[in-house]
Amino acid sequence: MTAVHKIVWLLFRSWMRDKSSLFFGFALPIMFLLVFGTIFGGPAPPNYSLYIRNLDTDPQGNPEPLAAAFIQALNSSQVFDLKLLNPDDPAPRSTGFAAIRILTIPKGFSASLLNNTIANRIDITVDTINRLLQMAGENLPEATRANITQGLSQMNTFKQLFKTEKKPLTLEGSPDDRLLQPIEAIINTVADRFELALLNSTSTIEINTVQTNIRQLRAVDYYLPGYVAAFIMTNGLIGVSSFTAEMRRKGVMKLIAATPLSRASWIVSLVLMQTIVSLILTAVMIAVGWMVFRIAAVPDLFSLLIILLGTLAFTGLGSFIGGVVKSAEAVTALGNTLSFPMMFLSGAFWPLELMPPFMQQIARFTPLYYFHVALRESLIAGSVSTALIPAAVVAILAMAGIILAAYTTKWRDF
Amino acid sequence: MVDEAVAAEELVKKYGDVTAVDGVSFKVYVGEVFSLLGPNGAGKTTTVEILECLRTPTSGEAYIKGLSVKNLGDIRKIKQIIGVLPQEFNAVDNLTVLENVQLAAVAKQADNIRDVLEQLGLWQIRNKLFSKLSGGQKRRVGIAMALVGNPEIVFLDEPTTGLDPEARRETWLYIKNLRKSGATVILTTHYMEEAERLSDRVAVMVKGRIAVEGRVRELVASHGGKTRLVFDFLDEDAVGVLRGYGYVVERVQGGRVVVKVDRESDVFDVVALLRDRGFEAYPEVRQPGLEDVFLSVIGSRLSETGELV
Repeated sequence: MTAVHKIVWLLFRSWMRDKSSLFFGFALPIMFLLVFGTIFGGPAPPNYSLYIRNLDTDPQGNPEPLAAAFIQALNSSQVFDLKLLNPDDPAPRSTGFAAIRILTIPKGFSASLLNNTIANRIDITVDTINRLLQMAGENLPEATRANITQGLSQMNTFKQLFKTEKKPLTLEGSPDDRLLQPIEAIINTVADRFELALLNSTSTIEINTVQTNIRQLRAVDYYLPGYVAAFIMTNGLIGVSSFTAEMRRKGVMKLIAATPLSRASWIVSLVLMQTIVSLILTAVMIAVGWMVFRIAAVPDLFSLLIILLGTLAFTGLGSFIGGVVKSAEAVTALGNTLSFPMMFLSGAFWPLELMPPFMQQIARFTPLYYFHVALRESLIAGSVSTALIPAAVVAILAMAGIILAAYTTKWRDF
Repeated sequence: MVDEAVAAEELVKKYGDVTAVDGVSFKVYVGEVFSLLGPNGAGKTTTVEILECLRTPTSGEAYIKGLSVKNLGDIRKIKQIIGVLPQEFNAVDNLTVLENVQLAAVAKQADNIRDVLEQLGLWQIRNKLFSKLSGGQKRRVGIAMALVGNPEIVFLDEPTTGLDPEARRETWLYIKNLRKSGATVILTTHYMEEAERLSDRVAVMVKGRIAVEGRVRELVASHGGKTRLVFDFLDEDAVGVLRGYGYVVERVQGGRVVVKVDRESDVFDVVALLRDRGFEAYPEVRQPGLEDVFLSVIGSRLSETGELV
């Protein structure tokens, strides 16, 4: 064991002095956590961007009162990030993924809304009185009924004076904008409530929002174990494979193999060194997560076991690649070819639900999927029961990795 | 009777249809420097890697201090008494000189790191990263990693390939010191001068076989041919005079004339004869060496890069 711990220390020092290892092993995952955690993990829900082009203005260019009030109602919903466009402004261009949506309030919107609201109120009043007449039935004297019916007829005549053409709002957006329909629904809700307010009425259906224990991960809760798992994987598949190939190319493996040190001691040293790197990466990520995003994730023994198993699995696979593929360049290329698609397809970087169904199926064939799911369930959700099956898969992968490493780390007949 | 350090008996190593080592036998005695000299692809490295227990022979047997390289029980004992510098060796770039030697020392459970570093002139630069060293220093680190643990038998596979002449001579110095310390050294090389200067005995290896083997002096005496006097220019009349006295005279490329003599004393006789006859004669005297042995035995020369030409 003395030899192993000294070799671990020397390999670790070599790793720590390698700038690319430090960048890909520590700096990059921290940068990812900070950047994506900040972009997607802020405390407030994202507001939907909506441009308003108000054509309903007076001759001086001031918004008509009801148009202004409607814009205010949209703003009060706290759902939209409103930006006002002048009537002559061209439609803005999208410079990134942000969708461009324009709601146009037509000329005459206020007058049409006001008149039609009065007409609606008359309709409601007539309808209400008719219902009362039906309820009264034979109990109402005939003369009284005749007077009321005459009055209602006059009201209907009066209503026609207010009934004007409707001025519909126009919502423009891209056919690729998947949020256009939900946004139209939200604007409809705001418009309905606005009309009810004009009628001096309120909605009779209310929603009570109740806080429950339903688990909801924040973006950073999702990212942290995802990034830890993904970068333990890259350390193994790219770092260990390149290191193994490099040691072979330089003749260090031959020199060591010609000493009494056993092959098992060398493999154990390599795995222990990678385990130390994985644990430090986890600790640093948790510390950054706590300092910046207040993620309280203290790894328990089960989480540490999952980290160890993941490290074993990917160190073994990396050692296998480094042992089987002859040229150092080909080893790096293969490590990258396996790692990068796995990072993006496994759901480590974003929830699987955001991906098309066939990609979700592919994700379930990647070793990284089980590693990050097990780690998230254990480290963030604290749920051993839901982490058990993915952790078992990682354990099987770890065994396979170590068997492959033992088989391909040659101490003779290189 | 001198003890045998290494004995190879009819070693054969095949890779599919290719025979890399084809029935190689030789012995190396304790305390001597033994060189396997040959072109690239001759099977030198494969042969020493069999002796280093890094390759399994297809057939044949080899013994290190009487221990079989094919016996798993013996292999661990062999590894305790050998030191290996692999071909084109480079240590770990991100470790210092000291740490690299520590890596080898840990693997060998050795503790004479300081002695070895001082012996190879590396103690002063022990804290320098390997990647920052010169070519000669890097090779010395490799030798230090091979020597740590005081191995009885040291295998140096092409120890000076790729080094500049100064670094090469510097490395030779350390190998000579190694011999003085009593270690048995097995060297592979394609440099004639290296084998000639450093070795007690040489085996010339070509196409997986040993073509000739023996002490350098004996090989030169038996296969190296005669001492030669090389004249850049010699008058045709002078050539006639020498031939008249029974000397073997050849005109070679570039108009030069080569006179082969049996004894060193003949050199003075030739020069005296020419001067007596009024010819200016300032020849270059070339003693036969391993290069001549190689040419005589193999029929080709070895280029600086280890190719047969």
